Order: sequence, then C-alpha cells, then structure tokens
Amino acid sequence: MPDAGYVLRRLLQMVPTLTFILVVTFVLVRLLPGDPLSAIAGDRVTDAQVAQARAAYGLDQPVLVQFGLYVKRVITGDLGRSLIAQVPVWTLVGQRLPPTLLLTGMATGIAVALAVPLAFISALRRGRASDLVIRGAFQIGLSMPVFYIGLVLLTVFSAQLRWFPVGGYGDGWGDRVYHLFLPALTLGVSLAAVLMRNLRSAIIDVLGAEYVDFARAKGLAPRIVLTRHVLRNALISTVALLGPTVGTLLGGAVITEAVFAIPGVGRLMIDSIYGRDYPVIQGLSLTLALVVSLVFLLTDLLQAALDPRTAG
Amino acid sequence: MTTAIKSAAILTLLAGTGLAGLAAPAQAVTRGGTMTYGRYADSLFPDPVLNDANVDIWILSNIYDTLLLPTDDGKGVQPGLATAWTVAPDGKSVTLTLREGTMFSDGSPITAEDVKWSLDRARDPKNGIWNFIDESIGAVDIKDPKTIVLTLKHPDPAIIAGLSVFNNQIMPKTQFEAMPGATMVEKAKAFAEHPVGSGPFVLQSWSRGQEMKLVRNPHYWRQGADGKPLPYLDGVTFEVLPDDATRILKVQSGELDGAEFIPFSRVEELKGDPKLNMALFPSTKVTYGNFNVRPKLNSGADNPLSNAKVREALNDAADKDAIIAIVTHGVGTPMSSYMSSATPLHTGTGPVFPTDPDKAKALLKEAGFDKGFKFSCLVLAGNVDEIGIATALQQMWAAVGVTLDIEQVDNATRTDRFRKGDFSMRLGDWTDDIADPNEITSYFGYTPVIEAQHSGWKSDEFNSLYEASQQELDTTKRAGQYARMQEIYRNGPTVPLYESPYPVVLKTGVKGFLQIPLGNNIFSGTSLEK
Repeated sequence: MPDAGYVLRRLLQMVPTLTFILVVTFVLVRLLPGDPLSAIAGDRVTDAQVAQARAAYGLDQPVLVQFGLYVKRVITGDLGRSLIAQVPVWTLVGQRLPPTLLLTGMATGIAVALAVPLAFISALRRGRASDLVIRGAFQIGLSMPVFYIGLVLLTVFSAQLRWFPVGGYGDGWGDRVYHLFLPALTLGVSLAAVLMRNLRSAIIDVLGAEYVDFARAKGLAPRIVLTRHVLRNALISTVALLGPTVGTLLGGAVITEAVFAIPGVGRLMIDSIYGRDYPVIQGLSLTLALVVSLVFLLTDLLQAALDPRTAG
Repeated sequence: MTTAIKSAAILTLLAGTGLAGLAAPAQAVTRGGTMTYGRYADSLFPDPVLNDANVDIWILSNIYDTLLLPTDDGKGVQPGLATAWTVAPDGKSVTLTLREGTMFSDGSPITAEDVKWSLDRARDPKNGIWNFIDESIGAVDIKDPKTIVLTLKHPDPAIIAGLSVFNNQIMPKTQFEAMPGATMVEKAKAFAEHPVGSGPFVLQSWSRGQEMKLVRNPHYWRQGADGKPLPYLDGVTFEVLPDDATRILKVQSGELDGAEFIPFSRVEELKGDPKLNMALFPSTKVTYGNFNVRPKLNSGADNPLSNAKVREALNDAADKDAIIAIVTHGVGTPMSSYMSSATPLHTGTGPVFPTDPDKAKALLKEAGFDKGFKFSCLVLAGNVDEIGIATALQQMWAAVGVTLDIEQVDNATRTDRFRKGDFSMRLGDWTDDIADPNEITSYFGYTPVIEAQHSGWKSDEFNSLYEASQQELDTTKRAGQYARMQEIYRNGPTVPLYESPYPVVLKTGVKGFLQIPLGNNIFSGTSLEK
C-alpha cells in the first residue's frame, strides 16, 4: 500500500499541472476572436456602451495586469464572477459540478458492472458463440454516436414506455439517480465497450500465465483461482485505463448533458465559451483539471493496491 | 393605436377599458395547477434595466409590471399600474394616474416614489442599453401620491409605447436599495437573485441552467374572467432544455405543458398530434441578410456591394419563396419592408424584391459585374436555419454569376467582426421590443445609432426623416415619413427574407397562454383545463 508520503508527493505534482492549465486557459480564451462584450451585448449596443461595459468589467486594463489580478484572486480561492450570469464562479461550479460528477460516477459504475462479468464470460469462452455475441454487441455500442444512443433510449424508455423521465435532473438523491439512469447508461455503454475489450485480452493473457497454472496445480478451486489470481492481475491494466477514460468521460458528458437536459458543467463550459465568459471558462478549466488529477491519483492508488510494484 | 392617442394630444383612458384584449375564456376557467414550460435557454440577468437578452426580456413581465401594458397584438398599449394617461397639447409632458391599492409581491404598497425612482433608473444614460426608449424624458415628478408627471425635452410620439417596455418596469426602491453591494450594479445583481415586483408571478427559486420556479403573486391587481384576481395558475416552472428533440419529447411524454422554439421542420408533425396544440404566434420577427456597403472592405479591397444596383440584383436573384419553403417549411412569409408587417406604420405588400433573375443579370451588367464577383457571408456555426439560407442564396446567386463563400463562425466572433465592419455580408434576425417602428428604424437605417446595422449605409434624407418622425405627433404626417423611409430603404443594405411566427407547442389543456408579437410570454391569463 502506498504511504502518505507518496500521496503528498502526488498532490504536490498537481501544482505545476494546475498552474499550466491556469496560464494556458487565460491566454487561450483571450486568443478567441471577440470578447465577453461582443457576446453579452449583442448587435445593438453602441461603441460608447461597449467601452463603458469593458471598463466596468476591468477588460480595458492591460492583459498582464488582468493576469496578475486573476492569479492573486485564485490564490485566495476566489475564481471571480461570471460576466454573463453575474454570480460568483464558485456558485456556478457548486451548482453544475455535482450533476456531472454523479453522472460520470454512475456511468463508470454501470460500465464496470457490465464490463467485468462480460469480459470474463467472453475470455473464458473465447471464440465461442457467446464471446462473439458479447464482442459484437459492444462493437455496435462503441460505433454508435453517444447522442444517437441517447435519443434512442429516450424515445423507447421515456417517451414510449414511460419508465424513465425524459431528461432533467430531479430533486433529492433518489430522484436524481432515477433521472440520471438513462444518460449514465448511454455513457456507460460506450465506456464498458472500451473496458471490456481491454479486460478480456488481459484475462486471456493472465489465464496463460505460469502462476495461474501453478495455482491450479496446487488444487485451488477454479472460483478462487479466477477471483484471487486472474481477476486481480487482469484488473491492473484496466484500472490504469479507467483514469484517462473517466477524464474523457467528463469531457464527453457535454453531449449527453445536452440531449438529456442535465444542468452539468459540460453545458456550462460550452455556454461560457460561446459567451466568452472568461472567469467561468478559466475557473471551470481549473476545477475540472483538479477533478481529473484527483481521479488519476485515485486510480493510481487503486492500481498500487492491486500491484504494489507500481507505487514508486 | 399608440400614435392615434398621441396625435389627439389629450386623451384619457379609464381603467379597465383596455382589458378586453386579455385572453379571457368565455366559459368557467379552472384555477390552480403549475404549468411547466420548456425553454431553449435559461435567463441570464433578470433586471429590467441592465439586461441585454430576449431570454430575460421575454419573461420579465411575469415578475414586473409596467405603468402601461402592451396589447395582445403588440401594436398598442393598455392600462397597467397607471389607469390613465394624458399627453399635454404641446406634447411636452405626460401625466399618469396611478392605480389605487396596488402592491408589490411582498405586500408593500407601490408608491409614486417607487415609480419615479424606477423611471429615473431606467432613463439614466449610464444604465444599460435601453435608456434610448426614455431619451425624451427630461424629468419625472411626483405631483401628488397618485399622479406622476413626465416633462419631455421634446414631443415624443413613442413615449406612451415606451412606458410599456420592460426597461420601465416598476421596482420597489426601498427593497432594492437595501440590497448588499457598494454600487447600484452590485445591488441590481443581488436583487435579481430574489426579485420583488408586482407582476402576476414571483420568482420562488432559480437553479441556473436547470429550472426557474415562479409562484402566483397573491397581491396582483388584475382580475380574471371569474372576477377574482389573476393569475389562474398557482405557478409556472421553466425547465431549461437546449436540445430541441428533448424539449419536444418532454411535451409528448406529458412531462411538460408546453415548450418554445419548436424547429419549423417539426411543426407539421406536431400539428397532427391530437394531444397537442402546435401554436404559431404572430411575431415582429424578421430574418434578413445584411451587407457591408462601404466602398472599401477592411482588407482594402474594392467592395462591389457598395453599388446599389449590385445589391438590388442580388435581391432580385434571391428566391424568397424557395428559402421560406426550405428553411421555415412554409411557415414564413416574405418580408414586405425592413420592418415586420406587425410593426406599427409598416407599409408594403408582397416581397420587397420579387424574384427576377433576368433583371438581376441585367443590373449586374449595368453595374459592370457581368463577369460576376465573389464575397463571403458570416453564418452562425451550427445554426441550421442560417446555414440553410446561406446555402440557398449561394445557389441562387451562382445562377447570376456571383460566388458566395459561407464562413461559419460562433456568435461572439460574428458580433465582433460585425461591429468592426469586418464583413461583406451576414445573416441576422430581429424582433421589436416596443410597439413603435422607431427602434428597428434607428438600428437599421439611422446612421448615428450603429451606422445602419454596421453596414456603413447612409442616407441623409432617411436620417432627417427619422429625426423629424421622432418628434412628430401628427399620426398622418408620421405615417408619411415612415412610408418614405421604407421606400428609401429599398436601396438599403439588406436582403429582406422572411417574417416568421413564434412556434410554441402546448398540451391541448393549456388555455390562454400568449406570446405577443414583441416576444413577451404572458402567463397571467393561462389556465390548465382538463
């Protein structure tokens, strides 16, 4: 098991990453054509009104001065205020991050719940009909665009069968899990396909390993061989894959959030980019970078627990 | 109606006479229930004065009231928090009588002090972009607790209509000033989180990007058809659903009572559903192309579009009916002026430029462009309607030898380039905010405002007619000025395309919902019937 020193080192490593994200997003948003005023004010405002608003938002100051002020605020934990919604960025993050995290978490859970047993069946019955069916089905799941899966699920299970609500987020945790089930399934299916393929080939590799033969030769029950030796070793590479995939999932939630009307950070990010809402884009990028870094840390810890050699 | 009132110079309307326009079902109305309504985007900053966007404007009147209210046809006004108004014979002042016993949603009385404070804030040139509506007001005075006198800097034929515009909504001075914040803008931000107004509903909760809950204001002054106070509904819940397909599915599955911005491609299908009422509310919306007509482009290149003959040729070559069929699936009608036919003082019948490719070719030859030329059009990326229009124009203009490049950009980029005059053409749409033609006219043609939509187009005659019309109280004369301006604008910088209604889908049980031509969503007379 990795010690506290390892965790601390890893947390410190996040500082340069987050600094990099901070600088890059600050520069990138300003390289976009137009500025918050062109997005907020629309076509109708006069030049004088634009100048007045620019001054009010502090956008008339030199970029370096703006950057200095921004860094000073971020260090004190203040991400600034949204130029469009006129509320603190933290308020928006606080409102919009939980739905995305819940969705991503549920999708990951569904993906793991689907991928692990099916990968086993597929690997143990390699080349047989059940293997082909499972792999074929996941191949289809993987090649269908997420928004399409989403719309099909919505049309069948919500509009026709009325088993689930048509999108939305709900009130209270039970209701939210109910609301997010279909979108999580949508995301989970494509993630499961990736995990399943990886896990299946890892299981096949492990099954051929000498220590498995040895365990069997010792006379261990096949169930124990599978769980204690095969699964544990096969999962190492899959867990390593889980980190980056969850990161992608956070990004990919944008489309799912739009189709299922989930008020998450994906939509907030898109709206903020269109609106050139600099403080929100910057604050959200930082927050997401932090979340993804933490997920990486978690998966690394998990991997280290499975395979102590990886904790360095 | 508006201008008729003003030309008569002295006219007093008594309370209630204008209320006939309120959508009031003849039979018994069901009270109670919460209507759920799917919106394509959330509100941003529901402050009457400092907002900039239709997502706020179109719902504000449910929370705040104005002294006068727009009529259901969007062309006139009716009594609101003021029961009567009188314009002095010289047109230099307006006297308003305040309604007795009106209250804000927190139960506090609406005083003349609140009215003066609200109008003073709205007309302050430092506040937001809407103060042009109150440009003529020189002073707001409280004559007695029930009488407000507006002293005008000059006669203003649009001031009565202006008093029904959202920026002149009445807010409670004391409650606003009690908000935290050092500046008025900070106070406005805090107040907009928990607004107190006197509209039919109160904002109960708002989860940004998700839903906004309005509940009935027990102190609302207006009476329903059953003789009891409006609104009929206990509340309205707005759900934010940016995806068109999802918004429609939610109405079809029964989770929503209605949804706005239905794509025109779905209108026919939804009309066929017996459980739904596919409503097309008349609007002031116009969709058009807009040229840069300066002699040189920002790149320094000569600009063929500065030639009025070239512009007319492109207009003649554009088949409006085909575009209406392709983009609106037949729902739109050709624009017959730069302003919509629902705008007061509109003139014209049929398309401004009937389709005539032969004439287009002849005009291009006359202008020396028989070999054609090439220019580009800014199109909002991913906007199906704009891409459809641009693609259709590309083909139609190719037929007369002109090559159109389509440049897809996002909104902020487009606005930025538009404002800098860094474009050849762009597509756009417009809806009026006031029951008067002056707003669209100032933006579309009057140079000092935004250089005729940043086109660089300039007509001295148009400019002086506009200035005169802004002080002309004689309805007939003003109508004449507007007729002439619309004639001059044939040489203007636009490609008039089509007018289109507001497409809203409702369950059949929803009665009395209204979106007026100015865009305002009116839930005060809405009821949920079995």
